[in-house]
Parts: sequence; C-alpha cells; structure tokens
Amino acid sequence: MSGVKLEGIVKRYGAVEVVHGIDLEIKPQEFVVLVGPSGCGKSTTLRMIAGLEEISDGECRIGDRLVNRVAPKDRDVAMVFQNYALYPHLNVAENMAFGLRIRKTPKDEIAKTIAETAKILGLTEYLERRPADLSGGQRQRVAMGRAIVRHPDVFLFDEPLSNLDAKLRTQMRAEIKRLHKRLGVTSVYVTHDQVEAMTLADRIVVMADGNIEQIGTPMELFNNPANVFVAGFIGSPPMNQFEATLEDSDAGPIAHANGTLIQLHGQEALRGSAGRDVIVGIRPEHVMLSAEEGTASIPIELDLIETLGSEALLHTHVGDVPFVAKVETHGEIGHLQGINALHVKPARVKLFDKETGRAIGQAA
Amino acid sequence: MMNWNLYSRGDKFFAIMVSILIGMFTVATLYPFIYIAAMSFSSGFAAQAGKVVLTPIDATLEAYGYILKDPQFWISYRNTFIYTIGGTVMSLLFIIPGAYALSRPQLYGRRTWNLFIAFTMWFNAGLIPFFLNMRDLGLLDSMFGIILAFAVNAFNLILLRNFFEAIPQSFEEAARMDGANDFQVLWKVFVPLSKPAIATITLFCIVSRWNGFFWAMVLLQSEDKIPLQVFLRHTISNLSDNDEFAILQTDAGFSAETVTAAIIVCSIIPVLIVYPFIQKYFEKGILLGGVKE
Repeated sequence: MSGVKLEGIVKRYGAVEVVHGIDLEIKPQEFVVLVGPSGCGKSTTLRMIAGLEEISDGECRIGDRLVNRVAPKDRDVAMVFQNYALYPHLNVAENMAFGLRIRKTPKDEIAKTIAETAKILGLTEYLERRPADLSGGQRQRVAMGRAIVRHPDVFLFDEPLSNLDAKLRTQMRAEIKRLHKRLGVTSVYVTHDQVEAMTLADRIVVMADGNIEQIGTPMELFNNPANVFVAGFIGSPPMNQFEATLEDSDAGPIAHANGTLIQLHGQEALRGSAGRDVIVGIRPEHVMLSAEEGTASIPIELDLIETLGSEALLHTHVGDVPFVAKVETHGEIGHLQGINALHVKPARVKLFDKETGRAIGQAA
Repeated sequence: MMNWNLYSRGDKFFAIMVSILIGMFTVATLYPFIYIAAMSFSSGFAAQAGKVVLTPIDATLEAYGYILKDPQFWISYRNTFIYTIGGTVMSLLFIIPGAYALSRPQLYGRRTWNLFIAFTMWFNAGLIPFFLNMRDLGLLDSMFGIILAFAVNAFNLILLRNFFEAIPQSFEEAARMDGANDFQVLWKVFVPLSKPAIATITLFCIVSRWNGFFWAMVLLQSEDKIPLQVFLRHTISNLSDNDEFAILQTDAGFSAETVTAAIIVCSIIPVLIVYPFIQKYFEKGILLGGVKE
C-alpha cells in the first residue's frame, strides 16, 4: 500500500486560483476525509490526486513516485464517482470487468476477481443486470466493486453517498468503513457532510476557500477546533459562538458577553488578557441542565424544544444571540419547560481570537 | 388517452385542425409513391393515355421485364450499393472520431475547428471550383473519388458532436481511471452510448448516398461507374427521344413512363428494407440509468 503526499499543491483556472498551496501527507492504509462547504476545493484536490485535473503548482506523490505528469490510468488509483458513472450499456459484471479487460487481464482471473468482489458486496445475483435495473444502493456498490477489482494502491471517493436517501446513506457508510477495514487500502474521501467525515475518517482535513483549516482525528477536531470555521463546521448542531470581552476577577478570568458573565476558572493562561475581544464557543453537547461545582451558568430564554427521542435540542438565546443545547431527555421533556439557565464546565468553553478567529490557549 | 369530453372547445378545434393538416401532409407524401407504383404495373398504353390515377390499369409486369433484362441496370444497381455502403462506412469512419475530438474540451483550438466545420454548412466553393479541385486531385470518373469526396457532412458531424457533448463527463473520467486511452473511451464508451445518434446519421448517409445524383452525374463519365440515379436519368432521356424505342413499345406492354416508374420502384425498395432496422434506435434513450442526476 502506498501513501499520498501533497506538497504546496496549487490549482489555477486561468487567473483564478482555487486551491492555494495545500500540504497533506496521507499515510499508507489511512482513511482520510476531505470535508468542507461547496467550492472549498476538496473535490478539485481529489481530482488532482486522481489525475483528472492538472496540478498547476506543487508536487503530488503516490508512494515515492512523483505523479504530477502521470496519466490517471498509470497512477494505480481507483475512483468512485458521485453519480456512479456506471456504463449503462454494460451489465454489472461487465462494468466491473471494464478496467481489467482494458488492462488485458486473463479471462479466468477476471471471472475469479469479479466473483469474489461481488460476494463481498452482495452483488452476486445482480451480475447480469444493467445499471438501469438496479436501486441506488446497488449501483453505488457496483461503482465500489469497479474500483475494488483493480486492487489499486489508493481509493478515491468523490461524495459517493450524496445521491442516496438518508437511511441508505447510513447503511452504505458502515459498509464503506467495513470494506476499508477488510481491504486496508489507503482512501481519500470527499464529502460536505461532516457526519460522514466524523464516522468514516481516521483523520479529517477541513477545507475552506482552497485552504486547509485543520487536520486531525475526528475527536481532535471536535474537542479542539483550531479556529471558528472548524468549530462551526464540525459537530451537529454546530458549536454555539458569541462575542465576548475577557475580564479578570479574583476567581479567575471571565468572559463578558452582552451582559452575561461566563466563568473561565482553570483557564489560567488567560490571566492578564483582560480587555481582549474573543469569540466564546460552547458545544451544544457540553451544556448541562444543572449546576455542578465550578460550572459557569448562562442565563437563557427558552424559545423551543426539538425532541429527538433520547435527546432534545433546546433552542434558546443569550441576550440576542441564538444558543442551542443538546440534552438528554430520559424519556420525557416535562422537566425542560421553564428552564432559564444552562451550565457548562469552564474547561469545556473554547475561546477564539475575535480578529484572527484562531483558537486561544492551544496549538493551532 | 384523454377523454374527448374533457377537451375545451379551443382544444377540440386545435385537435381537429392538426388532424386535417397531418392528413393532408400524409396524402401529399404518400400519393406520389402510390402513383409511381401504380404506373410501374400499368400498361404502356394506359400510362400514355393518362389513365393511371391510384391503381394499376391493365396490370402487367412488362416494364419490369424490360429493365431487369438490361445489363446496365444491374451494373448501376451494383454501383449504387458500392457508393452507399462504401460511402456510409467512410463517412462514419471520419465523422465518429471527428465528432469525438471536436466535442472534447481539451482539444486545442476547439472553437476555431468547430467554426471551420460550421462554415462549410453555409458557404462552399461552388460547382466549378469543386469540379476543378476533383480534376486536379485525379478523382474525376473515379468510384473512390465519389466515396471520399462526400465523406464528411458538416451537419452530421455537428449532430454527433452535440450528442457526444451531452454525455456526462464522468463516463469519460471513469473510463480513463479504468485505464482507457482516447480510442478506447471513444469505441468502448461513447460509441455504444451514442447508438441512437449514430443510427440517425447512418440513415442520413445511406439515404443521401442512395439518392446521390448530381455529383455522380457531373463527376462520372464511364457507364460502368454510374449509380442507379444517373442510369435513371439516362434511361428517361433515351426513352423520350428514341424512335426505335417508340416503335418497340407499340407492340410491347410498356412505355417510357412505366419503365421510368419501374426503375424508381426498384431503387426505393432497399431503403424501405433498411429503415425498420435502424428506426428502433431512434427514440431509444440508452443513457438512462448509468448516471444519477
């Protein structure tokens, strides 16, 4: 298995630069997800790895090989497209065999590989069918089968689940994860869905406007977002953010937001930063209903309760800023009515510099 | 089918007018064909007397007997087949790769090339320069010249190019990732996906080659190279002012008119046979299913 290394990768269309010098090292067998909003350059980056887009500047290596000027077919990568791109005039078996036939693989070997792959993907009984006669999930599996049979060094996935309905997406997500465990092929996966990113990735690369905002494991990104963009992008619902000014008190630093005081005990690094304008970030999941020792309490006004079953989303506001909390219901929501304060452990409160948007008090 | 009672008065009027117009058009298209067929089976006397309107009068096969015995008929029939099959194959060999290249965004100078091709649809050199060009290329009175000279038709080329352009890019990209080169992308993916379009231009090529008359008449001199349409022209002019034939036909059951009609019927038959086989591709949406939009 090979890794992938991007060094200073730039993509320009004429005078417009859409990817601004990306550095990324993907280790062999790693599952890396590129995630970001539409137009952030994630698909372009993937297509540059595939060889479908020319690299304007920088170096792309697969294994030890510089592949900037290597044709897609010679890069030993396989790609699963968003729209599947199955050949409609060929049946499932022929679709999967297409690449092998072009590479002049012996017939009996093709038959064997296809039989094995079809078994892994549960496609054995559909081998004679045309793509038009398959469901969305089956087509997606054929598209993966077509990639698998070639035993490539690297799998590339370009938003492969975005055309499926929610239930099927969850199912296929698990299947992709299982497949990666079984085959151990280095995988680069592009999605705009942070849930997919969180569930699939060994490491997530968050992109915005052609730059990498942060690279880390799902939990690193969740717990220690490097900036307000990542904080807002990773997590569902997103991290609550509101502006505040730091103040000092005897008990430790305090964030003063619009008349609300949030204690930041323990964040001693902030001492002496009084007067600094910051953005306070609090994850909805980190909000508690009752106070504990040392917790900061936030007075809120409850707007509405969204019930999800075992959990509920409390839509509230702090001053005039919306604030969402995700709390457990224990099967009923009566106790949530009339709430006027929420609580959070000071250590859970994230602070970002208001000007740069970068996290304060941690290595970015 | 919608219930007639659910139509508004305007809709009913519209439906009736459409039916009438279609009916008139059908008669206008079909009648010459019926007339010629009836004529070819009529006696020469009836034809000359102008009695043939819808059905054969004094039905006879004499006109067919006359032309089928003429060796020149068979030679020109064979030539027409050669021009049609050879010309169509040649056209497809040029048009399919040409349309593919012109449809690819990565083709250098693509807009200019497309402009050059489209230009020939509106402007061409004209009769004399084209004739001189063919003469200087040594392609006068040459069967290969006829096949080659009209191989690329700008309209067909643009038609197929547009079809190729509409094929989702991801098919090409998937094939490239699978290891296909340009030719393999074209022959293994684009051509099978474009069967309806290729069938259409094939039919266009066949019909225009089969009916090709003018340039064959101008460029070919040898009797053994002329196609059926030129033979038909020769026959008509021969029969009309040939005294010998006039004497001959007094006794026989055919005339210049019935012989001409018989040749026309013979020349229509192959196109009628081929059409149903190609027609099935016309409306078939073969692209369905492979790409989820």
